[in-house]
Amino acid sequence: MDIANIQGYAYVFALAFLVIVLYAYIYHLYKNRKNADGTDYEEYSNMALHDDLSDTPVADRYDVKKK
Amino acid sequence: MFHWLEKNPFLFAVGVFLVIAFAGLITLLPSFAQASRPVIGTTPYSTLELAGRHVYIKNSCNACHSQLVRPFKSETDRYGDYSLSGEYAYDRPFLWGSKRTGPDLHRVGNYRTTKWHENHMMDPKALVPGSIMPGYKWMFTNLVDIDTAYAEQITIESFFGVPYNKPVPMKDGTTKIVKMGKTLNEANSLALAEAKLVAADMKNQNVKDMIAKGQIPEIVAIIAYMNSLK
Amino acid sequence: MENRPLEYDYTVAKWFMWSTIILGIVGMSVGVFIAFELAFPSLNTVLGEGLSEYTAFGRLRPLHTDAVAFGFTVSGIFATWYYVGQRVLKVSMAESKFLMTLGKLHFILYILGVAAAVITLLMGYTTSKEYAEFEWPVDIAIVVVWVMWGVSIFGLIGIRREKSLYISVWYYIATFLGVAMLYLFNNMEIPTYFASGGHGDIMHSVSAYAGTNDALVQWWYGHNAVAFVFTVPIIAMIYYFLPKESGQAIYSYKLSLLSFWGLMFVYLWAGGHHLLFSTVPDWVQTMGSVFSIVLILPSWGSAINMLLTLKGEWQQVASSPLVKFLLLASTFYMFSTLEGPVQAVKSVNAIAHFTDWIPGHVHDGTLGWVGFMIIASIFHMAPRIYKREIYSKSLMTAQFWTQTLGIVFYFTSMWIAGITQGMMWRAHDEYGNLAYSFMDTVAVIHPYMILRGIGGTLFLIGVFMWAYNIYKTMSARPVEESELHSATPMGA
Repeated sequence: MDIANIQGYAYVFALAFLVIVLYAYIYHLYKNRKNADGTDYEEYSNMALHDDLSDTPVADRYDVKKK
Repeated sequence: MFHWLEKNPFLFAVGVFLVIAFAGLITLLPSFAQASRPVIGTTPYSTLELAGRHVYIKNSCNACHSQLVRPFKSETDRYGDYSLSGEYAYDRPFLWGSKRTGPDLHRVGNYRTTKWHENHMMDPKALVPGSIMPGYKWMFTNLVDIDTAYAEQITIESFFGVPYNKPVPMKDGTTKIVKMGKTLNEANSLALAEAKLVAADMKNQNVKDMIAKGQIPEIVAIIAYMNSLK
Repeated sequence: MENRPLEYDYTVAKWFMWSTIILGIVGMSVGVFIAFELAFPSLNTVLGEGLSEYTAFGRLRPLHTDAVAFGFTVSGIFATWYYVGQRVLKVSMAESKFLMTLGKLHFILYILGVAAAVITLLMGYTTSKEYAEFEWPVDIAIVVVWVMWGVSIFGLIGIRREKSLYISVWYYIATFLGVAMLYLFNNMEIPTYFASGGHGDIMHSVSAYAGTNDALVQWWYGHNAVAFVFTVPIIAMIYYFLPKESGQAIYSYKLSLLSFWGLMFVYLWAGGHHLLFSTVPDWVQTMGSVFSIVLILPSWGSAINMLLTLKGEWQQVASSPLVKFLLLASTFYMFSTLEGPVQAVKSVNAIAHFTDWIPGHVHDGTLGWVGFMIIASIFHMAPRIYKREIYSKSLMTAQFWTQTLGIVFYFTSMWIAGITQGMMWRAHDEYGNLAYSFMDTVAVIHPYMILRGIGGTLFLIGVFMWAYNIYKTMSARPVEESELHSATPMGA
C-alpha cells in the first residue's frame, strides 16, 4: 500500500470521526439545556451583556460550592 | 462531555490547533516531493539572471504581471504554451502573481527582444500607446547587486542541490552547464561577461559606458532575466 | 494611597486605538494614491523622476496591503482584545503588573515593527509573497510581537473571574494560533548572507520552497491570512460589540459555537481556489473549489446569527448610526462570503482570475466588513475609554453614508472592469483569432479605474471624519457610568 492510499484511508476515517464528534457536540449543546442543573448555553450571552467588574459572573471561577 | 472546551483554555487551544492544522497536513505535504522536479530544458538561473530576478522582485513587477499561462486556448494563443510545474523548479520564490494589470510574462523571452525591453522600460508609452505602465528610468543608472545574487546561488546550491556547474539535460538531447563562480570575483566576471552580451544589443550610451567600466546597471540584469523566460 | 474601586484599565487599548486610526489613514491614503496611479499613470512620477522609484505602483502596492492588513486591522484586533478581553473575563489589567507592562511593551515593539516594515518595503526589500513581503529581520520582529500578544491573552485568561470563555475569546485565541502557524510556515526562508559565509545583502533571504510548492504554501497562507486576520478576529468583535451596543443577547449562542468549529475546520481547505488551472495537483484545486462552497455554511451561520440578534429591535438601525455600521458590516460579510465561493467555482474562476474582480471582492470584505466593524468597535470603545459621549452623531451618520457610497462605487466599478477584462481576454473572432489585444482591455476599463479611485476617496474621507470625531470625543461632554451600559451616548 503506497503513501497515497494510506492518506486516503486516514482522510476518510478522520472525517468519519469528526462527523461523530460534531453530532455528539450538537447533542451535548441541546441536551444540557433540558436538565435542571445543566448548562443553558444561551445564558453565556450574558458574559457580554453584564460585563462590568461588579456584575456577577455567569459561572464564577472561584465559586467552589456551585459545582 | 464537552464542557472542558469552554473552561480549559489550554485544551481548547490544542483542539483548535488540531482542527486548523488538519487541512494543511492533507493538502500540502503529499505533493511536496513530486512537484519540484525540473522538466527537461529547465536550467538554474545564471548570476546575472538571478540578479535581474531580484530587481524584478524589488520593484514588485509581480504585482501587475503574472507568470502563469493557464491551459486555455485564449491564453496559449496570447502567451504561448501553458505552464508546467517542473518549469518552476528553480523559482524561489514563485512569481505567478495574482493580477494581470499588464500581460503575462512567463514566455516573454520568446517574443520580446533586448532592444524592445530597453525602449519599453525607459518609456512604455512610446512603444505601446495607451500603456499605463510607468517608466523605470532609474534602472539605467542604479547598479545591480551581484554579491547578493551570488550569495543566493551559494545558498541554493548547498541547501537545495541546485545543479550549478553540472550538466543539465536540454530538449534537443544535448546538455548545458550553468556556471557559478567559485569566488565572488569569478562570479562578478561571469556576470559582467553575460552583461556585455546583453548590452551589445542596447543603444543607451550611458549603459554601454558603465559596462565598459565593469559596472552593471539594473536594466541589463532585468533584461537578461526577462530574456530567460521562455 | 486612596482606596478606589477596581476599574478596567484601558491604557493599552487606547494606544492601539490610536494606532488603528493613524495606520488606517496611512494605509488607505496609499491605497487611494495607487488606485489613481492605475487611472492616471503620470502620478507614478508625481514627486519627480528622481523619486519615482519610491512612488511607482509596484513599490507602493505592498505598502498599501500590508499597512491596512497588519497596521489598521491588526491594531484594531489588538485594541479590541485589550478592551473586550478584560470585560468578558471580568478581570482588570490593573490587577497584574506583569500583564500591564507586557501590554505596553507589546505596543511599543509593535510600533517599532511597523516602522521597520514601512522603511524596508519602501527601500524595495520584499520577498514578493503577497501579505508576507517582509524580509527575515522584520519577520522575526513580527513573531516576537505575536508571541507577546499570546502571552497577554493566556495571561489574562489565567487570572480571569469568569469561568467559561466567551465566544469572542474563542475567536481571539483562534486568531492567535492560526496566524502563528500560517506565518511561520509561509516565511520559512534562509538568510543568504549567513548561508553563503558573508556575501551580499544581510537583509536578503531565499524561500525554503520552490515553484509550485512555494505557490501552494503561499496561497494556503494567503487565503488563511484572510481567514485569521480579516474574518476570525472581526467575528470576535461583532459577537461582543453588536450584543453590547444593542442590548440584545446573541440570537443563538449555540449556533455561534457550531459556526466557530465549522469555520475553523472548513476555511483551511479552501486555499486551493487561488490556484485553479495552475500547475498544482488537480485534486488540490477541486478540493479548494468544493470547500469554498461549503464555507458558505459556517460563514452564513455567523452572519445570520448577527442579523437575527437585532430581531425585534430593528428601530435601532434607524436611530443609531453605530448600529447602522454594525448591521452593514454583517451584511457585507454575508455578501462577500457568497461572492468568494462563486469566484471559486472553476468556470467562473476561469474568467475572474487575474482580473479586477478579485481586488473588487477583497475590498467588499475589507472595506464593508473589516473596515466598518473596526470603525464601529472604536466608536463603541472611545466613549468608555474617555468616559465621554461621542462628539457628533450627525457627523457619524454622514460618515456612514459617505463610506457606504464609496464601497458601492468601488465594487460596482470593479465588477464591471473585471468581468469585461475576463470576457475580452478570452474572446475569439469568427476565424478563431484573439478578438482583442491586451491594450484594448486596458483602454476599456479606464473609466472604471477612475470610479474605483473615487470610491476609495469617499471611503478615505469617511475615515478622516471618523478620526476627527474620535479626536473631539476626548473633550466632549463627560457621562456617568450608567449611561455607558449598552447604547453609546452621542452628542448632536
